[in-house]
Amino acid sequence: MAMMPKRVKYRKSQRGRMKGNASRSNFVAFGEYGLQALESRWISARNIEAGRVAATHFLHREGKVYLRIFPNKPVSAKPLETRMGKGKGETGFWVARVRSGMIMFEIGGVSENVAKQAMVRVSHKMPIRCRFVRRRHSL
Amino acid sequence: MEKTLLLKAEIREHTGSRHAAKVRKQGRIPAIVYGHKQEPVAISLNAHNLIEGLHHGHRLMEVQIGRKQEKMLIKDIQYDYLGRDIIHVDLMRVDVTETVKVTVPIELKGTAKGTHEGGIIEGHAAHLEVECKVTNIPESIVVSVKDLDVGDSLHVGDIELPDGVKLVSPPDIVLVTCSLVAAAKSTEEVEEEMPAAPEVITEVKEAEEASSEETK
Repeated sequence: MAMMPKRVKYRKSQRGRMKGNASRSNFVAFGEYGLQALESRWISARNIEAGRVAATHFLHREGKVYLRIFPNKPVSAKPLETRMGKGKGETGFWVARVRSGMIMFEIGGVSENVAKQAMVRVSHKMPIRCRFVRRRHSL
Repeated sequence: MEKTLLLKAEIREHTGSRHAAKVRKQGRIPAIVYGHKQEPVAISLNAHNLIEGLHHGHRLMEVQIGRKQEKMLIKDIQYDYLGRDIIHVDLMRVDVTETVKVTVPIELKGTAKGTHEGGIIEGHAAHLEVECKVTNIPESIVVSVKDLDVGDSLHVGDIELPDGVKLVSPPDIVLVTCSLVAAAKSTEEVEEEMPAAPEVITEVKEAEEASSEETK
């Protein structure tokens, strides 16, 4: 199974709404460079894993990749060829709620050029528009 | 470093988010001036001039409000949610002879010894808090990482500061480490670590309660 929490309080969750922009987790905190979401959307565990693999494969054990998002929201899905009704389906996959402005991935320990190329590869795996950002050093 | 920039400010008669948004539409940036036990004044600055000044490393500026000209230090800058545009600036009145506490960025220089042995340099702190004269604020503090081997670390107390600059941050804070990069986990390894299904806390509790009632 892909990434998911070890313990949860409830098995299923309601869909919820994502209003507004990110007010936290919107700056590069661990590495030197980051990938910022420009749209709000659920990012599935498979997307996150694909992004992580793309970055680590490109970096060849050179830098360090930080994941700033985690899929902690269960999304239920009904099995194929099932009639409607009979209650809510079982958990199909897990997603991270990403709001625009959030830093999803960070890279440290490599040059800007290498980090940029790695982030391009990660952004291709994401279902949203993203942009490459640097850690802000000034005020 | 002694860099001053002259900016003309306009007093904002109305404050609040809606009025601030109108100011921004006119190509100006809302700001607040405080310090020296005087009343705070809401002003606006020309966005182009301010951003240009910041790009050139100015932190100290001469601000003209009406006919009065005062020396001010940029205390804080607020950015929009994407971190692209400046939306507000805090300015503090200062005297040239005054000592102030400011945060200064850290700049890592050189290639560490450890990087040739498969290590990477990790910066754990991006800023330092220092105390210095207003006219003597360093643009950045350069830290040489040349001698760092794998497993070595640099603390804030190890840094040599420029003359006239005093450290305020605790000296035991870790600044930089050089560590070996752990091999990236494959997807299969990540999947092995993850449980097949998460433990549901509420269901575990219910089961425990039911079993305890049965034993009674």
